[in-house]
Amino acid sequence: MASIRVGLTVNSSDVLSSPLALAETFSAAVDSGSLIRAKVKGTAADTDDLLVYKANEKNDRAYLYIKNLAPELEQYIYLRNESEGNNPSSKIGGGQFAFIPLAPDKDCEVVATKVDTLIEYGVFGNDNSTVSGKG
Amino acid sequence: MATTTATITLSSADLTGDALSLSTTATLTKGGTLTGLDQTTGVARKFYSSAQANTTLIAAADYTAGRAHKVYIKNTSTTASEYIKVELGASNLSLGFLYAGDWMFIPYDGENDIDIDTSDVNMTVEYLVIYEA
Repeated sequence: MASIRVGLTVNSSDVLSSPLALAETFSAAVDSGSLIRAKVKGTAADTDDLLVYKANEKNDRAYLYIKNLAPELEQYIYLRNESEGNNPSSKIGGGQFAFIPLAPDKDCEVVATKVDTLIEYGVFGNDNSTVSGKG
Repeated sequence: MATTTATITLSSADLTGDALSLSTTATLTKGGTLTGLDQTTGVARKFYSSAQANTTLIAAADYTAGRAHKVYIKNTSTTASEYIKVELGASNLSLGFLYAGDWMFIPYDGENDIDIDTSDVNMTVEYLVIYEA
């Protein structure tokens, strides 16, 4: 079994009167996952959404890293949970990122405010071989 | 103007033939500007002596809607089976599960409450909101 190590630091010397210095890491045993760059074509729910995670593709847990590579902050991408309606669960501006342990039994799709918004993403976990994104 | 940066790293020496090593940093700014987010809850912890269901951890009413807030949430448990389910809004849209030691870092638009379920008694949730008026 392979493992992945994930770290987050949040730092500021002036958002509080004392320095903010948050540092967290964890390691998870995983057997599958990769980093992908792709363009998001869809700008409305259910029309050319980019599927970044297919429900039950991973067992137990699915860690999503996603970054919006758009050059402008106002060029947003929206994460959607297809099986729970069209409401976006996250709104990520250009240059911003998120790390979310997904509900492994739900699809995760992305739409953007602008056609062909470039994103980078990866989903890591233990592969469920009975579910495939391919035909 | 405050300056806050967030860095995430992903690494694995054995998941793929080519070692995975990613590090990316964002300066956390107010929506539509290059001005830094300037308000924060600080890093806070909440202890729940009983198992929770749809309990509001972060109330949207405390934040201006439609802005570029950021949220960090961590399950501080060290018991592998203990999890926190993170949900969004009145319909409790499932966002994901935080098992022992897991954390998440997400943008937050302040339009819906962030609620949690906890799987067990005596669990502690750590969180941080960095936000703008």
